[in-house]
Amino acid sequence: MLKLFKIIADAGEATAKYPFAPFPVSPGFRGKPELNAAQCIACAACTTACPANALTMGNDTADGTRTWQLNLGRCIFCGRCEEVCPTHAIVLTPEFELAVANKADLLQKATFRLQQCEQCGQPFAPAKEIGYVMDLLRQSGVAVDEARRAEFASCPACKRKATVTRDAVSQHLSQEAEQ
Amino acid sequence: MNGPLPLSNPMAPRDERGMPVPLTESEHIAALKGKLLKDIQRSAYVYRVDCGGCNGCEIEIFAAITPVFDAERFGIKVVASPRHADILLFTGAVTRAMRMPALRAWQAAPDPKISVSYGACGCSGGIFHDLYCVWGGSDKIVPVDVYIPGCPPTPAATLYGFAMALGLLDQKLKGTHQIEGEADRAVVAHPAIALDVRVEIEREARRLAGYRAGRLIADEFLTLASETDLTLDECMKRRLSGEEDPRLAEILTRLWDIGAGVARG
Ligand code: SF4
Ligand code: SF4
Ligand code: SF4
Repeated sequence: MLKLFKIIADAGEATAKYPFAPFPVSPGFRGKPELNAAQCIACAACTTACPANALTMGNDTADGTRTWQLNLGRCIFCGRCEEVCPTHAIVLTPEFELAVANKADLLQKATFRLQQCEQCGQPFAPAKEIGYVMDLLRQSGVAVDEARRAEFASCPACKRKATVTRDAVSQHLSQEAEQ
Repeated sequence: MNGPLPLSNPMAPRDERGMPVPLTESEHIAALKGKLLKDIQRSAYVYRVDCGGCNGCEIEIFAAITPVFDAERFGIKVVASPRHADILLFTGAVTRAMRMPALRAWQAAPDPKISVSYGACGCSGGIFHDLYCVWGGSDKIVPVDVYIPGCPPTPAATLYGFAMALGLLDQKLKGTHQIEGEADRAVVAHPAIALDVRVEIEREARRLAGYRAGRLIADEFLTLASETDLTLDECMKRRLSGEEDPRLAEILTRLWDIGAGVARG
């Protein structure tokens, strides 16, 4: 009997103190995904990767906005969004105390502005993506100054049109030349 | 259950399109529930209703009553019959076949009872939300008091959810809506390193270590390489001395080779 008590005393207490003390999660624990909206470029890579469709995005072209939404009630904490995010905007935190009484509190949203095309005025990409693309080009050694922003802020269709016009002029394929 | 139920079946109401309508509680029962929570001076009994989950959630519920987490020290006991239950835990995305058994369990539990949606499936259908054969969440069939997200929720998250259901702990999570500010600008990572070099390093690290770990290792390497005053060789030698994980050391060495190759031109 005494021996048994000794074994028990030696083994110590296995029970976690939680919820009376904070619960230390293990390293690499994947908890609540947290979006840093300032860093997000609304590219929707995470939305495409999310296997549970917990991440969704919707455009409101009338308003010129795009809204990112995470439904924590559907998230399976796989970390695919963190893997694919090009700007490190979304990171899985160790936060696990996510139970709610009100289902609406499971929704995390962020709204971003859409870029209107400089030529035709149609929204075609998130505004922050334009700045990010210019920064990436700078990083890879292409000199792009802010004056060229209008070029980047044109939709693919208008860009194509502009290229055709420019080439037509440079190759003297103007209407007189064709006659 | 073959074919749609008659719409007038009061036990399992459906709307005119045949979609299930959640059962409701009378105000009287809601008031009783408030009273129960306020001065519950005894154990709370939990009955698990499996509405067609993958069994992952069940395993975590049982993990929560093992000695490590020991929900029983708070008097939370898992019971074998809904007739003994104070709390009903609904797991799974509510398959068509499991809707009636779940409703019968809900009706068998004495009032006032607390219903909990457990796991991503219970909260919203989870990864099964768009399947043809599920109703997509326990709140589609019964009134739910607490939602515990996770796939499956960890035992600690389960304890937190129980404590919330019993009114012992407060809800921490709030819905948020961030709006893009005028001056917001995404910062490019490691601006001191040329883009193609960064891409090459990140690709190699991800190829060797897998996607998520690879990114962390590539990040560590690029931070080391761009923020040091030492040469790359000295810096990496210092980093690798005493590194106990041979896999990590090998991957870092490989990245170092690439970096050195770039530096040589
Ligand atoms: S962790 Fe997985 S399920 Fe959750 S939002 Fe990210 S990709 Fe989607
Ligand atoms: S992948 Fe990253 S940058 Fe793109 S929308 Fe998601 S969080 Fe934002
Ligand atoms: S939430 Fe996840 S673990 Fe739980 S039943 Fe659904 S798929 Fe399985």
